[in-house]
Amino acid sequence: METVTLTIDGKPVTVEKGKSVLEAVIQSGGHVPYYCYHPGLGVDGSCRVCIVKIEKMPKLQTSCSTPCGEGMVVTTNSPEVEAARASVFEFLLVNHPLDCPVCDKGGECPLQDFSYSYGPERSRMAFERRTFDGEGVKADIDFGPTLMLNRNRCILCTRCVRFMKEVDGDAQIGITNRGVHSEISTFEEKGVVSLLSGNLMDVCPVGALTTRDYRFKSRPWDNPNAVDTICTLCEKGCNTTAWIKAKPEWAKGTQLIRTTPRLNEDINSYWMCDIGRFDYHWIEGDRRINQAHMNGNVTSWEDALVSVKDAVDAVGGATHAQFLVSGHASLEELFIIKQFAGNTGGVTFSWRHRVKPQPADTKFKIPAVDAPNLHGAKDLGFNTATSGVANISALQSAVDAGMVKLLYVLDPGPDGTLGDVEWVIAARKAGKIKTLIVQAVLHSALTAAADILLPGCAFVEKDATYTNMTGHVQGAARVITAPGEAVEDWQILSKLSVVFGVNVTYSSSAAVRVAIAQALGANPAYAGLATMTFSRPMSAKSWLQASNPSERWKWDFMFQDLPPIKFGDDFGPTPRANVIPMKEVK
Amino acid sequence: MSFHPLMEYGAGHHQSARVLPEEGPAFQFTAANLAKLEEICTRYPAERRKSAIIAALYLAQGQQGYITLSAMRAVAAAIRCSTAEVEDIVYFYTMFYTRPMGKHIVMVCRTLSCALAGAERVTETLSKELGLRPGETDANREFSLLEVECLGACDRAPVVGVNDDWHECQQPEAAKALIDGLRAAGAGSLTGCHLKVAGE
Repeated sequence: METVTLTIDGKPVTVEKGKSVLEAVIQSGGHVPYYCYHPGLGVDGSCRVCIVKIEKMPKLQTSCSTPCGEGMVVTTNSPEVEAARASVFEFLLVNHPLDCPVCDKGGECPLQDFSYSYGPERSRMAFERRTFDGEGVKADIDFGPTLMLNRNRCILCTRCVRFMKEVDGDAQIGITNRGVHSEISTFEEKGVVSLLSGNLMDVCPVGALTTRDYRFKSRPWDNPNAVDTICTLCEKGCNTTAWIKAKPEWAKGTQLIRTTPRLNEDINSYWMCDIGRFDYHWIEGDRRINQAHMNGNVTSWEDALVSVKDAVDAVGGATHAQFLVSGHASLEELFIIKQFAGNTGGVTFSWRHRVKPQPADTKFKIPAVDAPNLHGAKDLGFNTATSGVANISALQSAVDAGMVKLLYVLDPGPDGTLGDVEWVIAARKAGKIKTLIVQAVLHSALTAAADILLPGCAFVEKDATYTNMTGHVQGAARVITAPGEAVEDWQILSKLSVVFGVNVTYSSSAAVRVAIAQALGANPAYAGLATMTFSRPMSAKSWLQASNPSERWKWDFMFQDLPPIKFGDDFGPTPRANVIPMKEVK
Repeated sequence: MSFHPLMEYGAGHHQSARVLPEEGPAFQFTAANLAKLEEICTRYPAERRKSAIIAALYLAQGQQGYITLSAMRAVAAAIRCSTAEVEDIVYFYTMFYTRPMGKHIVMVCRTLSCALAGAERVTETLSKELGLRPGETDANREFSLLEVECLGACDRAPVVGVNDDWHECQQPEAAKALIDGLRAAGAGSLTGCHLKVAGE
């Protein structure tokens, strides 16, 4: 790697050749504000707040657009720079409404933060502010199916324009008119229609772009706790942060309040798709299965598990039982199934395959397979394709032939992720399947047809590991406590293992992972599985520093003198794992 | 291209107040213009086809007199870029018109040199002669009067442009004569020009 060495505020800094001065400042822990610069987007140089003094250059330079040169002498905090920077902030606030108390970005707004830090203490502007679309809330306008736009708040950094052009691949946003009349616009005011639209909220450094999903639902200080986890809605495995709303036990509403992407260069960069971002309401929705059911009636765990044993005995033993497993099953669950698979009729994998409509040259491709762990299933030795459409024809014809007396369905994913299940329901109704056991998270037509229904956990309610399409083994953390009597799926399977001819008992999901690591020792991807740690709700001691999701990486660099963001358990309820309240099935 | 239905929040209650360009009649480049555009595109690397966007817009404007939503779509299709990018360009440059203009577009420079040399008097005279305020077009689409920024002939201020012809050192009397000439002989009367802009 070719490097250059420059001096920033008297300190020598060595960076990779080609890096900008701003990146060098960030890398060295310096403090320079910026809006138009975003590490995942091209350089623009339109906001002007990152100006620094570089010796031998006649004027102040925008550090984001100036490449580092050998021997450069950069000053970021001289009186000259500070005065010029303050004037830029004064200009940025000329037309920006000071409605921070009602603005969704308030509290996690770089414009707010940096204006306090670097701006002048008061405005000298005596005239009325220029407005688009009206004053106050009238200025909130539709901007596509997921977003709202407030042009009065826009500072024209063009991050959204560049995101659509460079990452989404379909430049739907432009700037019309010029000068003070410039406004963010879409053709015919249709708004942004894209599966990556939620990212625009993340990149917007002010409250101009907000998601309909999160608007007015919460403020940054209402959700001071966040958990680093992953999204499991498709095989990409984007790294995400789940935000938890702090509220008293008796308060209504959900705990999980939003999901934002987390930087992982290898997988999702700074982005995530709208499906992962907005499709979380089912987790704390009304359709969750809270208790075990038998023939449609609520029952206890003890009775439900005993009845599973009875059902297996009734069909003549485990060899007559077949498993239909969703691609949403984690490594832990699959590992346990793997151990008693030999004693059963077989294991078939099923998942949903849907091609996502995206521009041809998008940089963020959303896979068609909605299953997070197919790669993991293959690594564990299951005979499954790692992509494409699920092949369940063998199981289907076996069911049709009446060969499958008992079908055990494991479906810990949201609605529809098991693929087509109509045939299962029809076969049960026609009596071709004698007993249908479903371990799932959501009530559906399938669970209604089930003889025995066992409540499992969604991916944010259990510590579970998944292997994504590129072979990365990642953990999804327990963010919230599962509803009712729902327990982690590996526990259910572990309790039932004796029914299927092996006695596998693990004290925790970590113990399962240790066993997996031993079994897959030859595969280096699983080397870290035994010691994998899961993030717990972490306190942002100072939420100001931790709360801006798109800029997390920046806070990690810039505010190292402040208390660290990730630590401690001195706050909030830690989500707990429910336990099946009974002894082993005998 | 969305996967999810419209989220319920405030759907349809808040609409943009931006004035959109008119839809206009269905627009299609003529075969001659399309051939010309393809020729212009060959001047740029294939992957930089977007560079020809201004030329394409000039062709569209030349064909229809002004640029409509329909024309923007045609340009986007010809240039292979998004419609938002076309609109961006149209609204940035003041010489693209999004409403019908007169046959003679009279532009008075109001930037510094011309303003000091009395461009405001010239505007007043033209305004009185044409019966138009700056920015207006007359009913039978003969004349449009515009105040514009620098036309690039500061040494011969004040400057008045009529379509692609520059008329320099214009005093109020000369401006009156200019209009009289245009009314009498149309574009053929435009002789006072020192600098002819080669039209594409």
